[in-house]
Amino acid sequence: MDGVAVGSLYALIALGYTMVYGILQFINFAHGDVFVLGAWVSFAAAGAVGLSVGDQTAVPAWLVWLLGAVSAGALAAALYEFVLRPRLGAGRPPATRLTWPLAGVSVVGWGTLLLLVATRGVVAGGSHTIAGGMILVLAMSTCGLVGFCLERLAYKPLRSAPRLNVLITAIGVSLLLQNLGQLEWMFGTRPDRMPTLVPDTVLFRIGHVPVRLVDVMVVATALVLMVLLDWLVFRTKMGRAMRAVSFSPTNAALMGVDVDKVISFTFVLGSVLAAAAGFLYGQKYPGLNQTAAAGWVLLGLKAFVAAVIGGIGNIRGAMLGGLLIGLLEFFAVQYVPEGASLRDIFVFGALILVLLVRPSGVLGKAVTEKV
Amino acid sequence: MTRIPSQPGPALLDVRGISISFGGLRAVQDFNLTLPGGRLHGLIGPNGAGKTTVFNLLTGVYAPDTGTIDLGGAPLDGLKPSARAAAGLARTFQNIRLFPDLSVLDNVRIACHLRTTGSMAGAMLRSASNLGQERAILERARELLAMFDLLDRQHEDSRGLPYGDQRRLEIARALATGPKALLLDEPAAGMNPQEKVELRGLIRSVMERFHVAILLIEHDMGVVMDICERITVLDYGRTIAEGTPAEVQRDPRVIAAYLGDPADPATGE
Amino acid sequence: MTLPTPTARREAPNPLMERAAALRGSGGMAAVRGVAPVLVALAVGLLLHFAIAPQLPEFYPRVILDIGINVILAVSLTMVNGFTGQFSMGHAAFMAVGAYTAATLVYYGSARLMGTADFASARAHAGVLSTMLQGREAAFFTLGDGIFIVALLAGGIAAAVCGYLVGLPSLRLRGDYLAIVTLGFGEIVRVIIQSQTTDTLYDVEVIKATPWPKLMRYMGGPVGFTGLPSYTSLFWVWSLTVVTLVVAFRLKVSTFGRAFLSIREDEIAAEAMGVRTTTYKVRAFVIAAFFAGIAGGLYAHTIGIQLNAGELAFMKSFDIIIMVVLGGMGSISGAAIAAGILTVLPEALRRPPPVDLPWFLLVMAAAWVAALLLIRRPKWWLIAVTALGAAYAWWQQPTLASPLMFWTVAGSGVLILLFAGRRVPGLIGLAIAVTCYIGVRSAAERAGIKLSDYRMVLYALALILMMILRPQGFFGVRELWTAWRVQPLHPRRSRAEGGESGTAGRVPTA
Repeated sequence: MDGVAVGSLYALIALGYTMVYGILQFINFAHGDVFVLGAWVSFAAAGAVGLSVGDQTAVPAWLVWLLGAVSAGALAAALYEFVLRPRLGAGRPPATRLTWPLAGVSVVGWGTLLLLVATRGVVAGGSHTIAGGMILVLAMSTCGLVGFCLERLAYKPLRSAPRLNVLITAIGVSLLLQNLGQLEWMFGTRPDRMPTLVPDTVLFRIGHVPVRLVDVMVVATALVLMVLLDWLVFRTKMGRAMRAVSFSPTNAALMGVDVDKVISFTFVLGSVLAAAAGFLYGQKYPGLNQTAAAGWVLLGLKAFVAAVIGGIGNIRGAMLGGLLIGLLEFFAVQYVPEGASLRDIFVFGALILVLLVRPSGVLGKAVTEKV
Repeated sequence: MTRIPSQPGPALLDVRGISISFGGLRAVQDFNLTLPGGRLHGLIGPNGAGKTTVFNLLTGVYAPDTGTIDLGGAPLDGLKPSARAAAGLARTFQNIRLFPDLSVLDNVRIACHLRTTGSMAGAMLRSASNLGQERAILERARELLAMFDLLDRQHEDSRGLPYGDQRRLEIARALATGPKALLLDEPAAGMNPQEKVELRGLIRSVMERFHVAILLIEHDMGVVMDICERITVLDYGRTIAEGTPAEVQRDPRVIAAYLGDPADPATGE
Repeated sequence: MTLPTPTARREAPNPLMERAAALRGSGGMAAVRGVAPVLVALAVGLLLHFAIAPQLPEFYPRVILDIGINVILAVSLTMVNGFTGQFSMGHAAFMAVGAYTAATLVYYGSARLMGTADFASARAHAGVLSTMLQGREAAFFTLGDGIFIVALLAGGIAAAVCGYLVGLPSLRLRGDYLAIVTLGFGEIVRVIIQSQTTDTLYDVEVIKATPWPKLMRYMGGPVGFTGLPSYTSLFWVWSLTVVTLVVAFRLKVSTFGRAFLSIREDEIAAEAMGVRTTTYKVRAFVIAAFFAGIAGGLYAHTIGIQLNAGELAFMKSFDIIIMVVLGGMGSISGAAIAAGILTVLPEALRRPPPVDLPWFLLVMAAAWVAALLLIRRPKWWLIAVTALGAAYAWWQQPTLASPLMFWTVAGSGVLILLFAGRRVPGLIGLAIAVTCYIGVRSAAERAGIKLSDYRMVLYALALILMMILRPQGFFGVRELWTAWRVQPLHPRRSRAEGGESGTAGRVPTA
C-alpha cells in the first residue's frame, strides 16, 4: 500500500515534469523543489493556523512580504490602467500585459491570506480534517503563485535560448529555492515535524497488507487531482490549447492560441500539483527535512524518472510511470535481499532499461529528425 | 515503364529497384539508376515526388525496403552514411546543413577527416605524421576554397555567409571527402540569376577536375536542361520518364505531371 | 605509418595521405613537441608547489588546489558536452569511480607494500612533492608517491572503462534521453558504492590476509572512505591540469577535434561527410571519463576531504556542467576560467577577501570603457548618465574612492551588463561583474547583512542572471585569445526560405 501511496505522489510530481517537457521540451529541474516548497508551505500554514506542535503561530513574515510587494505592484498597475491611461489619451499602450498577471497574483495572494484566517477559525472550531483540506488549498495556491513567478521571471526571457541554457537556469532556480528555504526567516536549517491531520488508524487489510487511513487519503486526493487534470487537458478549451502548443508552439500561435498564457498556465498547474504532493507527503511522512537536503532532490529525481518511464510529455504516461516506480521501489524493499539500500538502483536501472528498449517511454511516441 | 537502353561505359553508381514506404505512403517505388563515371544526371519532379528521399536512400539516412545500391562495383547496402561517404559518395543538403559555428575553413577540413589515417594519440603528442596530415588537410582545404572563391572568407563562421556562398561551401565540403559520385540537392535554390549562371560553370568544372559523377536534384529547369546529360523524372515516388533533356521534355507523362493531367478535371485547365 | 585497416576506404589510393607523408615534420621536432608539455606541466607544478604556495596565506593553496581539480573536471566534460554536444549529466560518477579505485589502491596497496601500522599516514610516507604540509623533512620521491601516481592512473583507466560503457547507449539515444541515462548511471554508481559495507579495514595483518576482490568491498559505504593518506598536492594537481589542458587543446585543433565539433554542430551532416559519429561519441566519453577519473583520484586524497559517494552525486555533475556552459560550449579556456571562478566564488562569498577600492575602481573604469567601445552600437545615454554621475560624485567629494563615485560606476556596470550583456566581450564582462559583486558586498557590509548567509542564494541568482543576460557563456564557442572578437548572436543570414521553392508546376523548358 505504501507503494501505491508513494507511487501516486510520484505521479503527481511527474505530471509537472511531463507537462513542462511536453510544451517547452526542457527538463524543469526546479520542479522537485516546488514540491518541497509545497511540503514546507503546508507546514508553515499549519503552524500559522495554530496546528503546529511548536510555537509557530504567527503568519510567516515572508508571506506578508510577498503579498505586500505583489499588491503594491497590482495597485500601481491598476492606477496606470484605470486612472492614468484614460487621462493620457487612447494612444497609450494598454497595461494589460502587466495588469492582469499582477491583479491575478494579488487576488490569489489575498485569497490565500483570507483562507489562512478562515482556516484559523476552523481549527479553533476543532475540525482538523476540513482544516487539512484548506491547508492543501493554501499550499497549492502559494506554489501556483511561485510557479507563475518563476516562469515569468526566469524562464520566459530564455524562450528562444538553447536548451542547455534553460536547463542550467532551472538548476539555478532549484538552488535558489533550496537555499531561500534554508534562510532563517523562511523555514530555517532544522528538520521539522508536520502535524498530522488524520489519525493513524488501519482501516482494513488486504491479505496481510494493512491499509492505513493516511494512505487512502493520499491516494484518493491524488486520484481526484489526476482525474481533474485529465479532464482539464482533454476536455476543456485550455487543455486543447495546451495540447496544441505542445504539438507546435509556432503553429498554435498562428491559430490564435496565446502561447505565453498557456505556458504560464502549465507551470501553475504543475506547481499546484507538486504542492498537493508536498502536502500529502508531509501527511504520510511527517518528518520534514530542511529544503536543501539531498533526500528531497532524490525524491524529485525519482518523480522525473517516473515521467520518463511513462513517456515524457505524455500526461497519462506520467501517472502510470509514477505508480510503476512507487510499486517497484516497495517491491524491491519487500522481496529483494538488501533491497532497502539498493532500491534506487532498481529505479534507475528500470530507467536505463526502458530508455534502451523503448527510448520514448512506455506510452511515448518516437520522434525522428527530418533530413 | 519505359526503359531507356543503358548507357555505354561501366556503371559507377548502380541503383536497382529501391523502394521505401513510410507508413502507408510509398515515397519511392522501384527506383533504378545507372550512372557512369564523369557523367551528370538530373533528377527532377514536382514537389513531394520523392527526390530527396532518393538521396537519403542512396546515402544511407534511410534503409530501403527493397533494392540494392552499388558504387564502383562494391555494394553499399546496410552501410552507415559515414561508411558510404568513405566509399566515395558525397552529398549536399536541400536545406543547407553546414557546421554553423565553425569557420568556413573548418567546415571543409572536417570533410577531409575521413581520408586521414593517424591516431588520436598522435594528435595529442603532435607527432610528425600528425603534423604532416594537418598540413595536407589545410593545403587541400585551401585549394578547394580557392576554387570556390571562398578563400578570403575562410576564417568567418559559416553561419554568417551569404546564401549563395553557403551553397557553394556545401559543394566544396562534399568534394573534400574525395568522392567518386556527388549528389547535389537543389544547389541553385535561392540563388540569383547571376549566381545560377556561375553555378553551371562551376558544376561543369567540378566534373572535369575531379572526374566525379554527379546526380543533381534541381528545380531550375534552365540549369537542369543546360548541364544534365540525362534526366530522370519522378512523380509520386515513381519514375515516369528517363532520357536526354530533349526526350524528357517531349514526354507527355512529364508534361502531365507538371501541368496536371488534361484528362483530370480537378487539375486540368 | 601503415596500419592494416578493416574498412574498405583505405584500400584506394589516398592522395591526401600521400601528400601528408610528403609534408610530415621532422622526428626531432616531434619529440620536442611531445616532451615539451610534460616539461611545462612539471615546471608549473614545481613552481606552484615550491615557489608560490609557501608565500601565500594559509587558506589560499587549498583553493588553488581545488581550482586545479575543477579545471580538470570542467575541461574533461567539455570534451563531451562542449565538443561533441552530447549531454552528459553523470560526470561526477566517473570522478567517483576514479576516486574509489585510486583510494582503494592507495589505501590497501600501501598496507600491503609498506606493511607498517601507519601505512595511511601522508605525514610518514609522502615525499616532498606530495604533501600540502609545509616545512616537513622528507625524501623527494617515496614509495607512497609511487603508489599514488599508479593509483591515479588506474583510477583514470577504470573511469575510462565506465565511460566506454556509458558511451555505448549514446549510440542509440539522443539529446535529453542520453542526458537522462547518464544521470541514471551516475546515481547507480553512487548507490552501488554506498550500499557496500560501512567498514574500512585498518589492521595491516587483516588486510594482507584478505584477497583483493574482497578488499574492494571495504570502501566505507555510506559513511565514506576514512583514513586515506592525503597525498594530493599542488604539484600533482597542477601538473596534471596542464597535461589535461594541453591534451584538450591539441585534440581540439586536430582533425579529430574537428570531427568531434562537427557532431555537435550537425550530426547528420557530420555523418554524411564521413565522420563516424558513433565511434567519436564513444571516444569522447572515454577520454573525458579518463581525466574525470584522475581528477577523482586527486580529490579523494586531498587533505581535509572525507571521500563519500554522496558528495559525488548529480549535484556535483551539475556543478561541472555549469562550469562548461558558463565557459561557453566547447571553449577549453572558457571552461577552465569558469572552473576557477566558480571555485573561488563560493569561498569569496564565505570569507570576502580584503578589497582595495580605488584599485578596483580603476579596473572597473577600464573594463567599462572597453565594453562601451566594443559593443556594436555604443549606448550613448549610458555614457552620458555615468559621466554626469561621476562628475557629481567628484564635485561632492574630490576623490576616486568615495562611495558615491563607486556606486555610479558599479551601477553603470550593471546597466551595461543588462543592456549589452550578450555583446560585451567575455573578459570585460567578467571584470564588470566582479566589480559589481564588490559593490554589493560593501553595500551589504554597510547595511549589516551577513553576506555569507546568502552565498548560495547569490550564487543561484548569479547563475540565473548569467544565463539570461549572456546565454553563450564567457567566450561563446571561442577560446580566450579569439574572444575579443565580438560574436554575432543573430547571424546576418540573407536566407531565402529554403526547401522546395515554388518552381513546381512550371513546364520544363530548354
